[in-house]
Amino acid sequence: MSEFLLSGLLNGLAVGSIYALIALGFALLYKSTKILNLAHGELVLFGGYLAIALTRAVPFPVAVVLTLLAAAVLGFTVERVIMRPLFGQPLLSVIIVTLALGYVVRGLMVGIWGGSTRNFPQVLPGGIVRVAGIPIQPAGVYSAVTAACLLLGFWLFFRYSLVGIAMRAAANDQLTASTLGVSLRRVFAYAWAFASIAGAVGGILLGLWLGVNFALGFVGLKALAAVILGGLDSIPGAILGGVTIGIIETIAGGYIDANIIYGFKDITAFVVILLVLLVRPYGLFGTEHVERL
Amino acid sequence: MSVRPAGDFKTSYVQDMAILDTRLYRLGFAMLVAGLLLAPWWAGRFIFLLNTIGIYAVGACGLGLLTGFTGQISLGHAAFMAIGAYSSAFLSQALRFPFLIALPVTSLITFLFGVVVGLPSLRIKGLYLAIATLAFQFLTEYALIHATGGIGSTTVPPIVIGGWTVRTDRQFYYIVLVVWLAAGAFAANLVRSRIGLAFMAVRDRDYAAQVLGLDLLYYKALAFGIAAGYAGIAGSLWAHYNRLITTEQFNIGASIDYVAMIVIGGLTSAWGPHLGSAFVWSLSQGLQIFTPAVLAVFPAFGKIATPLREIVFGVTLIALLIWEPGGLAMLLRKLKRKLDLWPFAY
Repeated sequence: MSEFLLSGLLNGLAVGSIYALIALGFALLYKSTKILNLAHGELVLFGGYLAIALTRAVPFPVAVVLTLLAAAVLGFTVERVIMRPLFGQPLLSVIIVTLALGYVVRGLMVGIWGGSTRNFPQVLPGGIVRVAGIPIQPAGVYSAVTAACLLLGFWLFFRYSLVGIAMRAAANDQLTASTLGVSLRRVFAYAWAFASIAGAVGGILLGLWLGVNFALGFVGLKALAAVILGGLDSIPGAILGGVTIGIIETIAGGYIDANIIYGFKDITAFVVILLVLLVRPYGLFGTEHVERL
Repeated sequence: MSVRPAGDFKTSYVQDMAILDTRLYRLGFAMLVAGLLLAPWWAGRFIFLLNTIGIYAVGACGLGLLTGFTGQISLGHAAFMAIGAYSSAFLSQALRFPFLIALPVTSLITFLFGVVVGLPSLRIKGLYLAIATLAFQFLTEYALIHATGGIGSTTVPPIVIGGWTVRTDRQFYYIVLVVWLAAGAFAANLVRSRIGLAFMAVRDRDYAAQVLGLDLLYYKALAFGIAAGYAGIAGSLWAHYNRLITTEQFNIGASIDYVAMIVIGGLTSAWGPHLGSAFVWSLSQGLQIFTPAVLAVFPAFGKIATPLREIVFGVTLIALLIWEPGGLAMLLRKLKRKLDLWPFAY
């Protein structure tokens, strides 16, 4: 039993760190632009598909760099062409536009690369790694490490770089930041680029583990769940939410799936969210709005 | 900023509250209804499209009341439709309820579900609420899959009204039309009643409304209940129309489509849900016809026919909403204003 728990914990941590990374992009975008990005899952798909296609032509590290560049360009383009004309428009309209964007991106992906599952060529050492005696796939270890490094990188970026500070300022209060000389347009553009990059990295990591197909887009909803769990506008919350959902899904989902009823794994996340929201309506770390008239 | 012809003064409250307030509107509406009544003659084999539009417009009407007028975002509308469809199937298959009784009972069942789902909205707000309803969507889907024993489909008997069995699309169309008009009229009237005004007060600032003496819990739960009731009717019609229902038909995609419909149509307009449903379904049907035509000219596109449809659909939505974020209803209003004033700018 304890072995089951421990292995669930480790595997869950590995998946959870990827969720955390994807959720980070999500929360980042929401924090700076107040847009709920329903196309985030498709950005994950984009990263996975593009990286696989590129590894056929160039070595894996180069492919990763190129994919991230492409993701950044995609983010900038989306902001410039689609989101900027909608600045200040009703929130729901903007959310539906991101949904439509998701259709377009997914359509393009499937149109170019087809619907079947694609796998990366063997870039990581095969076999099974043992961490503290628990067998775990090497891809999981690499994912966890990469995600941790990236999360640290993002944290440093927001803490010390000028753009990062401007983005935090805009997230705190758009109007004030804009009065003090922060260019909201630039902040929004960067937010989209970073969200897109975080999504693409998540896509590559998940792709290394599970292969890339349509269903990967569903991970966008998981990230949404993670973000809500942590609190929509909290980046540490997104990370913690991602890891929590990964672990809960692996342990509870795995246990219930195997012993009680089948297929519960994919909805555990939502059950947890429902329970958490009933106790803390703004998630674990979200800003609580003290409402007054 | 409504634009009306010169000399059209309102001299009573009844005139002021009228939904169709000018002669032109009344004439236009009469012609619309007449056109819809005669649809089996002009629509030909596309009558099924009108059926689909009508059924989804009924459902969207409910979501329009909830999201557009009460300001509560729901990503679980299709779940209510699913509950409606399955309870309708159960009522008419296992309990042998006639359709005319099954329909209101279904609506009542989903109304109660809606009230229960709406209760947390007192505490959970905005996008958090949207995710809570999304969780409800997944849970319902999951429960239905397990209750119906897996991925199989459930069969539903045809509608029988007083010995008359509805078999063809054309016959079914008249049932849809009656329900559709009734549902639309009910929604349009509801929003100008006391309840509708209370809904709008809740949307604009819920605490302010509470301070003014509105019972928030009552109105939020009522809004969810009414929306779910509408979805239940739509689900019941859908079940009897398709005669074969699976949980796939009511998945998260359908819920998001509902939100897309009301946004495209126009959130705060009584016409919005109908326009949105018509636009979305006509577009997807149009693309289904158009794509083979393109393929006939450029056979090289064969592999990407399905994604092509998705891409065009997405691009159209983006273009429409960038052009007019207020949706089709706002677009029509602006067009009317332009025509009224033409050739002058104002």
